[in-house]
This record gives sequence, C-alpha cells and structure tokens, in this order.
Amino acid sequence: MTTQVLVRLRTPLLLCAIAGVVAVAGLAGGPTVERVAVLALISIVFVTGLSTFSANSGIMSFGHVAFMALGAYTAAFLTIPVPLKGTLFSQLPEPMSFLRELQSSFVVAVVVGGLVAAVLGLITAPGIARLSGLQSGIATLAVLMVTYNVLSSWTSVTRGSSSMIGIPQATTLWSGLGFAVAAIIVAWAYQSSRSGLQLRASREDYWASVASGVSVGRHRATAWVLSAFLCGAAGALYASFITSFNVSVFFLSTTFSFIVMVVLGGYLSLSGAVLGAVGVSLLQEVLRRFQDGQFTGGSALPAGVADLMLAALLLVVLIKFPLGLMGSGELGQRGRQQQTDEVEPQPEGASA
Amino acid sequence: MIIEYLISALGLGALYALLTIGVALLFGVLGLMNFAYGEIILAAAFALYFFREQPWFFAVIMAVVFAVVVAVLSERLAFHPLRGADPVTLMIASFAVSLALQSVARMTVLPRAQGVPPESFLSQRVDLLGARVSVLDLLTFVLCGTVLAAVAYVMGRTSLGVQLRAAAENFQMAEALGVKGNRVIASAFVIAGVLAGIGAVVFVARQGAVSAEMGLQPMLVGVIGAVLGGMSSLRGAALGGFILGVGTATLEALLPSSLIAFRDAFLFTALIAVLVVRPQGLLSGSKVRVS
Repeated sequence: MTTQVLVRLRTPLLLCAIAGVVAVAGLAGGPTVERVAVLALISIVFVTGLSTFSANSGIMSFGHVAFMALGAYTAAFLTIPVPLKGTLFSQLPEPMSFLRELQSSFVVAVVVGGLVAAVLGLITAPGIARLSGLQSGIATLAVLMVTYNVLSSWTSVTRGSSSMIGIPQATTLWSGLGFAVAAIIVAWAYQSSRSGLQLRASREDYWASVASGVSVGRHRATAWVLSAFLCGAAGALYASFITSFNVSVFFLSTTFSFIVMVVLGGYLSLSGAVLGAVGVSLLQEVLRRFQDGQFTGGSALPAGVADLMLAALLLVVLIKFPLGLMGSGELGQRGRQQQTDEVEPQPEGASA
Repeated sequence: MIIEYLISALGLGALYALLTIGVALLFGVLGLMNFAYGEIILAAAFALYFFREQPWFFAVIMAVVFAVVVAVLSERLAFHPLRGADPVTLMIASFAVSLALQSVARMTVLPRAQGVPPESFLSQRVDLLGARVSVLDLLTFVLCGTVLAAVAYVMGRTSLGVQLRAAAENFQMAEALGVKGNRVIASAFVIAGVLAGIGAVVFVARQGAVSAEMGLQPMLVGVIGAVLGGMSSLRGAALGGFILGVGTATLEALLPSSLIAFRDAFLFTALIAVLVVRPQGLLSGSKVRVS
C-alpha cells in the first residue's frame, strides 16, 4: 500500500524537482538567466492550469489567456500604490471607485487574481461543459476575444490600450517557485481525485463513461473553473514580475506560445505540460538571442525569425508526434505510456 | 439615407458571405477550420500594395494569383501531411501556419503598416434612385455578388462542384467512388484562394492600408459566419456570413457610439450562445457534423 502511494507521488515530486532545478539555474546565472527562469516558473503555473482542463478532458482550449489577463488586471488593481492609482484611474465610474482605495499584499493579490478569473470560469462553465472538439476550440477562443475586446475598449477602468504601470515587483525566483510547486500539487491532486479520474475516463471514451454514470459536463465544469483559477494566479504573478503590461500581451501570440508548450510536451499529460513550459521558455530565449544576432556574429536578423522557427517546430511536432513528448503518460509512471500511445483520443461524437 | 444603408449593408453582407464560403469550403472538404485564411488574404493584400503603381485591373489579377499560390503552398507544406488528423490538431496546425506566414510578412516586406491609396474612381459618389451612393459600396456589392453567383454556378452545375460537394458530404465514400481526393482538396484550396483574393481587393479598398496583422479580422468574420450558418452546407454558410454582414452594418448604424467599441464582444458572445444552444448552426437542419 505504502509503495503504491509512493509510486503515485513520484510524478508530482519529479515535477516539483524540475521547477526547483529551474529556480536554481536562475540563481546561478546572471540577471538575464534569472528573468528567463522566473518567466519559466510563471509559465509552469499557467500550463499546469491549462492542462488541468485540457489534459484531463482531452479538449484543447484557446481561451485560457483570458483568465491570465483577468488575474494580471486584478493584481494591478490590488498592488499599484494608492497615490499612483489616483492618477492612473481618474475616470473610474462611480460604482467602481472603491478600487482606487484598495491595497493588498502580493500573496493576497495572486489568490484574488485567481478567484476573479475563476468567476469568469464559473460564468462560462455551463457553455463549455456542453461542448467538445472543434466547437469547444472556437467557443474558448470566443471567450478570449470577448475578454480582449472588453479590456481594450473599457478605457475608463482598464486604461484601454495604454499600459498598466507601476505594479510593485514582487514575484521573485523563490515566490515563483513556491507558486509553481503549489500549482503542480493542486493540478496533481485534481488529476488523482474522483472527479479528475472520471473526467479522464470521459476523455478515453465519451459514450462508455456516460454509460457508466459519469456526469461529464459537471466534471468538465469543475476542471474548467479550477484551471481558470490557476491561470488567473499565473496572470497575477506575471503582472507582479513584469511591473507594467499592455493589453496586447493577452492575445493570440501569447496563446500561441502556451499552445506550443502543451503540444510539444504532450497535451494529454501534466508532466508534458511542465516539461513543455520549461523547454519552450528556454527555446524562446535561445531563439530571441539568435534573432538578435548573438550566434551569427552580431548581425541581427529581422524581427519575426524567432516566431517563424517556433511555428515551424510546432508544425513538425504535430505531423510527426501528434501526442507530443509524453503522450498521455506521466513522469515516473511506467507502463501507461505504451498503453495509450497508439490510440488517438476519440473526440466525442466522432462515431456518430 | 435608406438606400445608402441598404447598399452598404448588402455590400458588407456579400463580402462577409464571400469570406465565410472560403472558410466553410475547406472545413467541409477536409475538416480544417483554417486560421491561416487571414494570411491568404494578407498575401493578396500585399500584391495590391506591391503593384499599386500598375493598372488596377492588373493588381487585382496579381492579388488573386498571390492568394492562390499561398493557399496551395500551405496545403502542400502543412495540411497535406496532416490529412486525416482530428479537427483540433488541424486547427492548431493552421494557427502555426498563420503565425509563420505573419512572421514571414513582418520579416521581409511589411514590418509596419503600409498605405495603399484607393483608386480615385472608388471614392466618388454617384446618384442612384435619388441617393448619393459611394462607388466603393456599389463595387463591393456587385463584385462580391458576381463572385458568389460564380461559386454557386461552379458548385451546382460543374463536375468539379459535384465532386467537391460529394467530398464534403463523405470524403472516404467519394474517394471510393472515384473522386480523386488530392485533386479535389487542391481545387478547394484554389477556390478558397480566389475567394480570399477577391475579398482582399474589397477589404484593402475599404481600409486603405495593408499590415501583417490585417488578416485577423476577415478570418474571424469567416469563422463566425460559418459557425452561425452551420458548416454542413455552403449555402447555409453563405447565408450565415450574409446575415453577419447585414447584422454588423445594422449594429454600427443603431448602436450608441459609446458601445460601438464593444461590438466584437457582442458578436462573440452571440457566437458562444449559438454554439451552446444550436451547435449545428442557426440555419441548418438537425444534423451535427461539426466535432
């Protein structure tokens, strides 16, 4: 019994160790490396959130960056010093003017950021629970579009296309590591929970799981809200690290780089998401340096080279290894990979 | 006033129907929700910019040629190896193609937006039934209407159209009955390219500029229109796009100016509602063939 528990605990321990290695690497390198490491840790929080929904349900989401945006804006409202807020948000509509007086600590901001995102998750959950496959892909993208449109047009509250500035820098290597570990544990706990297991059953065979009494919609909604929370927290961490951001960050190109992470690692696996986040963060930094000309003798390449190479890599992976690095297996768990590697997950209604 | 509104609403409806058909055709034949559709339009728009000194007619032809070349190339390089993959994988792949093409545009020729001065005859106004109607609106309506009629003819009356519809209905069955899969898919991309090219001509004339990001809006129009109309038939998709265009023009005319900025939020909320309540689309029958 105890050995079984130990075997099952191997995955979260290994994943936390990977996050630890990222933090230590950041500590050992210079300021640039540290920056990459912190961003990688924030990406880990985000992709564990994303994979809480997409790995367990087998449904790809293109909309989670909307949750990240909400988390970031919440953190901005909670942590920008009150005097600065007075000038930044001079046109707040009356019912929201209490926002100007709010002030909270970093940890509270991260948690509240997650909660605000979870509220959006709760609002959208009834719709998402009913959809799968391509419809779900389009609907999640629509969630992102609506959020982006509101954030960029509601100028009196969100400052529209002007940047949010003056957020105190609070995310460090250690707090980033702490939240990454917490996110991994939460995601793992959900995956091993009754709801998570039933959702995974529906991923493997939708009709069989329905026939066995699994209430797929409810579990999809649960996973959706939980993943919204984690992605919102990632957004708050991001805002507190970058200190100023613009709404244009939370749109398609960011969505795309997170998709590259989960697809490369294997979008049906939590370990895959974490490995993908670390790998792609590293790769993006290398590509950025390549574009700046550090490997080609100082002559900078035109902007866009890095994006092009990332896109090409994603296409190659999709063609050659559609299930990514991990398939649907997890680190430290033997034997499960071979079982499911060969079987493509069947989208719901594919046989209908 | 009413006639001006009608012409501009019908024109926008016809343009959106055109864009929607391009998306719906590829979806029908190979299950591909093509996010790179906007970049095919970008290619055509670039041609218009590149040949802006040449006669307008020549630039239009080159725009269509550029769009077709990019559409066929994207099929060869990215979508052909993924034949038979599930729709979500294809959608992610088209995301990648879209980003790749955008990066290429940004790297080489369009690091920033470039103006394309509209042809002088387009900005004139003519008298029509007592109203001053802009030539651009008229051209949008006539050009898109003609192309739509041409598509309807090709799909309905020619052998290629029958094969395309058969492939959209059931690809394996169509292949078993002697339809050449590769040829049909290639011609679907060619048709989508032609539609994108014509769409781009109208689009650039309305915007007066080209930029690497310009493909996003027409692509979203196509996707929303296709979902609204139900993707099981081209006629439904065209109608969906048409309704979207007329609806957009009406929203713009009726919405108070403080809410116009949130137009897209309304549209996408409506899209989610349609997906949840009627996944088969507003206008199609009971059959769902989307997932």
